[in-house]
Amino acid sequence: MKRLTNILSDIWYVCWREMKHFWGQKVRILMNIVQPVIWLGLMGNMFSNITAIPGFPAKSYLQFMTPGVIAMTSIFGAAFGGMSIVFDRRFGYLNKLLASPISRVSIPMGKMLSSALQAGIQSIIIVLIALALGVKFGTGFPGVLVMVLVAMLLTLAISGISLSLSAVLKTQESLMAVVNFLTMPLIFTSNAMFPTNMMPKWLASIASYNPVSFAVEPMRNLILGSWNWGALGVDIVALIGFGVLMTIIATLLFRRSVA
Amino acid sequence: MDVIIEAEKLTKIYPGGVLAVDHIDLSVKEGEIFGFLGPNGAGKSTTIMMLVTLLHPTEGKARIAGWDIVQHRGRVRSVLGYVSQDIAVDEYLTGWENLLLQGKLYHLSPQEIKTRGKEVLEMVDLWERKDELVQNYSGGMRKRLDIACGLIHRPRILFLDEPTLGLDIQTRSKIWEYIRQLRSEHKMTIFLTTHYMDEADKLCDRIAIIDHGKIMAIGTPLELKRSVGGDLVSIKFQENGNGQREEIFTALKEFPLVESVKEKDSQLLIVTKDGNTAIPQILSRLHDMGAEVQSISMKRPSLDDVFLFYTGRQLRDEEASPQDFYRMRMALRRAKR
Repeated sequence: MKRLTNILSDIWYVCWREMKHFWGQKVRILMNIVQPVIWLGLMGNMFSNITAIPGFPAKSYLQFMTPGVIAMTSIFGAAFGGMSIVFDRRFGYLNKLLASPISRVSIPMGKMLSSALQAGIQSIIIVLIALALGVKFGTGFPGVLVMVLVAMLLTLAISGISLSLSAVLKTQESLMAVVNFLTMPLIFTSNAMFPTNMMPKWLASIASYNPVSFAVEPMRNLILGSWNWGALGVDIVALIGFGVLMTIIATLLFRRSVA
Repeated sequence: MDVIIEAEKLTKIYPGGVLAVDHIDLSVKEGEIFGFLGPNGAGKSTTIMMLVTLLHPTEGKARIAGWDIVQHRGRVRSVLGYVSQDIAVDEYLTGWENLLLQGKLYHLSPQEIKTRGKEVLEMVDLWERKDELVQNYSGGMRKRLDIACGLIHRPRILFLDEPTLGLDIQTRSKIWEYIRQLRSEHKMTIFLTTHYMDEADKLCDRIAIIDHGKIMAIGTPLELKRSVGGDLVSIKFQENGNGQREEIFTALKEFPLVESVKEKDSQLLIVTKDGNTAIPQILSRLHDMGAEVQSISMKRPSLDDVFLFYTGRQLRDEEASPQDFYRMRMALRRAKR
């Protein structure tokens, strides 16, 4: 019991430190606000006529895009989860953590948790901006809550990928390269930017297995106003499963890399 | 005094076959300040990293406070404090937050963190500035905070890897002062690595000279100096004593402590095992013989001489490996800010 509370405390304090970094970087927070404004404002205008194409699932492109922007912001944030390990390794802080009696697993888990919390905060910011731009949230406040939760689950899983990579790659240059290589395709082969029913068949079938789609799909249903409990359940279970899997992989790889 | 750090044939071979630490045996007693002296790349940090459980030894064993460093890593971690050469403090946190985090990592209670945090911050003279972000700290302040972090859980053994690397003279002497204080007030055992001769000489009770992963010599600074040769005593006589020169020569050569006598520039040069004891004896003998001494001086071999003797090279000539060089530069850059 004491062991379990210790591990939970370790996870929390690793996460606490990351959150302190998050709040300490005013520019980063500012960019978190500016970026969705640009995405939503610019893209929303640029593609506003896309809704005229027959078969487009939403009446407003902004409304359609908001879940996509939430997912994209979450992925970008999560992709950098592994970077904090690389920096900790480089500046000697990782050794300091490892020389202390904290459980090894709490280091990747704490960092993943902090990525998820940051994604939650970013998602709320995006929702507020979308509201200001006149986007309607079809399922109201409860729907928004579920959307934020979904964004956090997605982030947890993606940051697990990033942390797993950081355990193997170890330098910031190689991690950046691989992460950049992964994030864009991850976004563009999902339904984040474009509805699957309007994609070529091969792309649509990739999109249906892309974990990002599992997050965008329920968020989009919610913003468009439908509580499709069955689909929502499937998507959330898939996200949780993916998240748990990535947590396990990240933890194992991390433990092995520091052993 | 009990032995608190024990290593038997401790060895580290890095992947790729680099033999960094080569069958090291050592034992450190509780309350000792023990120094590892060697050039960059000699295996100092690798040894420390094995002892603080950050690296698995390839071969051999070590025990910290009786706990095996491989089998009982958790126990080992909780009795030791580790301050790496990287100045690993978090810039985005305040000084106090760094300590709080450290206390939490060692599972201290909030009450313990409060009282001990104050104690260690006062010791390193940072209490007044505890609520400032570490970003605004100077290099010396960061190092002091780092040391404070290593102390908050009251470790029985403190490992300091190059504690004064790149720091200015004042900060260095401050840090020496803390180290002595920790030993005298808390009976803490201190294991440090350094490549500064004066640091090893003035601060450490015992020193191990390490080169190419091997311990070349081990002992107190005095023992080491004595082992490479005696003290050099030079005596200058009053002008009128010339007639007795031969007599004095033979008399001095018979002294058990005297190893050799030479004359150079109208001075007598005497090599002796133990100058402190020999000088009064020599003086009283010369006095009995009626020789009038004008002046007398003694020079001890320095640790530089010792290092040269055991490793065949001067410490300062050493070229750092690129990795060490990089680390050193990073540490210096951070220290300078």
